[in-house]
Amino acid sequence: MTLAENLFENLRLELRRGCLTLAVLAQLRQEHYGYTLRKALAARGMEIDENTLYPLLRRLEAQGLLTSEWREEDKRNKRFYRLSTDGKEIFTRLLKEWNDINTAITNLL
Amino acid sequence: MELLDRYLQAIRRHLPWRRQDDIIAELRANLEAQLEDKQTELGRKLTDAEMEAWVKQLGSPLQVAARYQPQQYLIGPALFPTYRFVLRLAFGWCAVIYTIAKTVEIVANGLSLEAWVGALAQLPWVLFINAAVVTLIFAILERSGVKLPEPSAQGAAMGTDWPQGVVSPFDARLDERKKPKTYAQAVIEVIAGWIVLGWLLLVPHYPFLLMGPGAIYLKVTPFQLAPVWWTFYWCVVVLSALELAWHIVDLLRDRWQGPHRVQHLVKLVLGLVPLLVVLAAPGRALVVLKNPTDAAHVALLAQINNGIYRGFEVIAAIVFLQLVWMAGRMSLEAYRRRLAAQ
Repeated sequence: MTLAENLFENLRLELRRGCLTLAVLAQLRQEHYGYTLRKALAARGMEIDENTLYPLLRRLEAQGLLTSEWREEDKRNKRFYRLSTDGKEIFTRLLKEWNDINTAITNLL
Repeated sequence: MELLDRYLQAIRRHLPWRRQDDIIAELRANLEAQLEDKQTELGRKLTDAEMEAWVKQLGSPLQVAARYQPQQYLIGPALFPTYRFVLRLAFGWCAVIYTIAKTVEIVANGLSLEAWVGALAQLPWVLFINAAVVTLIFAILERSGVKLPEPSAQGAAMGTDWPQGVVSPFDARLDERKKPKTYAQAVIEVIAGWIVLGWLLLVPHYPFLLMGPGAIYLKVTPFQLAPVWWTFYWCVVVLSALELAWHIVDLLRDRWQGPHRVQHLVKLVLGLVPLLVVLAAPGRALVVLKNPTDAAHVALLAQINNGIYRGFEVIAAIVFLQLVWMAGRMSLEAYRRRLAAQ
């Protein structure tokens, strides 16, 4: 990888990091377990590596933005996540921030 | 499935033990669902080679487990600026204190090149230990999730009140020093002055207030303080009383706000008085024998006196240099003001 490509990759990852959280919060307005969440995000163009997504879910839960419960589905125990009350509030604020940034960037371009 | 089991087992070994079962159960459910999807897509089970390739693509167990670790760094970004500031401060002070202490020790024991070289060679080790202790403390603070309050001047350098790109950290510290005192601070100064004066007056009756448990040695040691310390002591009491009186007068005359550089200069000049009293002790005798005929401790007595005397010489030199520095700065500022007025 050349220096420029390396730099681009770093900047791309930095740019994506915050967006991933927003995408996960947006998708978890409906209940999902890890794998279906990943599929749902991918289906909407937001591919997330499992090693990023699954720990991220736990962090967001620890921060109080998500709630989770173990439930059996298709004869298998799965952990289902959804937005908590605090999570809904934070998501609304983050979404506004995202839209503001988006508008600003569009105006700049 | 056996390969997946072994893979999950390998991940488990690197996970925080309290959450191992929970994380592995969740990961298993997700990966098994993923595997089922793959098999449904292919219409058959994965071959051993395909299974191995899939597991490999999931990432090494160590890397996967690392993502679940609550903390990936020793000192995080929130604490790091404070850590760096404290480390620099500790390094500086450690070097200064070490230099002074070693200088006094070497001078007291007779100047020798070997001692200087030894002291110099030891300095990096002392600084290393100092850095290790500071790092350890901050690592503990990081792990315990303590949020440090930002010191005011430092806060300006790190926090939200930093006027971007306008003031350097050095200027910010100057501004902080020039900031007028509040009434509450002035009152606290007066109260603290009273407490210090009371404490000073109690020390001769209760030496443990100064020396703590070490006061017991005053009774058992063959040495006692020379009479010159009484003069030193009363000088310190008078100076403390003067300072307190100054603060009270400032408070009563509503003059507590201004930065009293002259006051500080006078304090430094007067502060030299008790030091000079000690340095003028006849025969440099700062400690004497309780029993003047006790020949066994004469050599040790000479060493103690020499050490204390050298220590006071160094302190007096530091105060004097501080005095010269401050007087120089005041003169320079007065000159600049005169130039500006012209």
